Amino acid sequence: MRLRFQKWDIAVIAAILVMALAVFAAFLPREDAPAAYAEIYQDGKLLKTVMLSEDQEFTVTGRYTNTVTVCDGKIAVTHSDCPGGDCVSCGWLDGAGRSIVCLPNALEIRVLAGSGDVDFVVG
Amino acid sequence: MKKCCILLLILCFLLGGCAPAAQKQYNAVYLDLFDTVTTIIGSGDSEEQFRQEAQKIYEQFLVYHRLFDIYNDYEGINNLKTVNDQAGIAPVKVDSAIIELLLDCKAYYELTDGKVNAAMGSVLKLWHEARSHGIENPDDAKLPDADALAQAAEHISFKSIVVDEKASTVYISDPEASLDVGAIAKGWAAQRVAENAPKGMLISVGGNVCATGVKADGSAWVVGVQNPDGGEYLRKISITGGSVVTSGDYQRTYTVDGKQYHHIIDPATGMPSTYWRSVTVVCADSALADALSTALFVLPLEEGKALAEECGAEVLWLDAEGKQDTTEEFQ
Repeated sequence: MRLRFQKWDIAVIAAILVMALAVFAAFLPREDAPAAYAEIYQDGKLLKTVMLSEDQEFTVTGRYTNTVTVCDGKIAVTHSDCPGGDCVSCGWLDGAGRSIVCLPNALEIRVLAGSGDVDFVVG
Repeated sequence: MKKCCILLLILCFLLGGCAPAAQKQYNAVYLDLFDTVTTIIGSGDSEEQFRQEAQKIYEQFLVYHRLFDIYNDYEGINNLKTVNDQAGIAPVKVDSAIIELLLDCKAYYELTDGKVNAAMGSVLKLWHEARSHGIENPDDAKLPDADALAQAAEHISFKSIVVDEKASTVYISDPEASLDVGAIAKGWAAQRVAENAPKGMLISVGGNVCATGVKADGSAWVVGVQNPDGGEYLRKISITGGSVVTSGDYQRTYTVDGKQYHHIIDPATGMPSTYWRSVTVVCADSALADALSTALFVLPLEEGKALAEECGAEVLWLDAEGKQDTTEEFQ
């Protein structure tokens, strides 16, 4: 007996592939990534999450006071009364994985974005 | 026909099972270790599970933080401050981690021909004091006194650090010498902790980054190397293990008469090194990466390349003009 692909065989193979692909796609992590946002931590606790698409300004008090500004999709500490002012000199950030830290005020601002391809930034 | 359909369905789900499960990534940040930022990134079945794992990692770091601290005393433990306080007086019995760290420091001292020197505490102390004073009082910022620096530089020989493995003691034979393990301790601790950490985490202590295997979705971690002048990353480095460390002239700085001074001091001159803006090291061991990033920062390119090759490390150099140079295999 000759083994040959019949129409029916091809249909079954095609059906399996189509359904497998459909199930594969259904289980894929969602790629419709959220816009860039930042998490504001103080003493390791999440204070708030801000969308970088919404311009705003707020202060974080503690041992010192940091003024955090969100403007044009970027975030910065624009004023601080901490010694050194390293947090202010970090400047404006918009890239995922980057962070601004104010050690004296135990503040960390971490920029995150669902579509960001960088997990962490050194330097 | 019915059988056929069931078979089809089973096959579909088998194949569908290959799709990666979406696991959420969590991170924990600690600001009270090694005078820097510690970040732990990972995933887990739940946030609570991740927090527990992160807390265990934090507690291990806290032990090393206290042992290697040269500024504070802690009740019930002999740390490096105790050893420094007893310089020229008596050997101090210490935890085995201190012994192991100092033996590694000695190995790195020899490997780098003294460029990484944990025994130059006397010099670094003067810079630390000047920087702290300058940051607190910007109008009165000063460089360390040149005579004091020259005098301190007479007391930076590693020969004065006497490590007795059997007795588990450390003695500094020169009363004017002291230990400062700042160039190595963070990477050393990160390496130790990463070796005991669950798979699939990214652990950073002040920019000493260690990966413990791939991310939960099976992909590599992507570490961006900061451009000190802002803008795009210098590089994006993919890692699934090992370590990435960057030393930069824009970290831990202070300003005197409008000029910025950073914290990486060349043992040969007692002054901040001016060869590079930043040096990034990628290699398997985070302690070695940390030590090398400091050594390479105070070495010119050709000598640095030879040292990197000897250590099997990949390196990215950025100079004052923004020009990049790398070892051959750097990604």
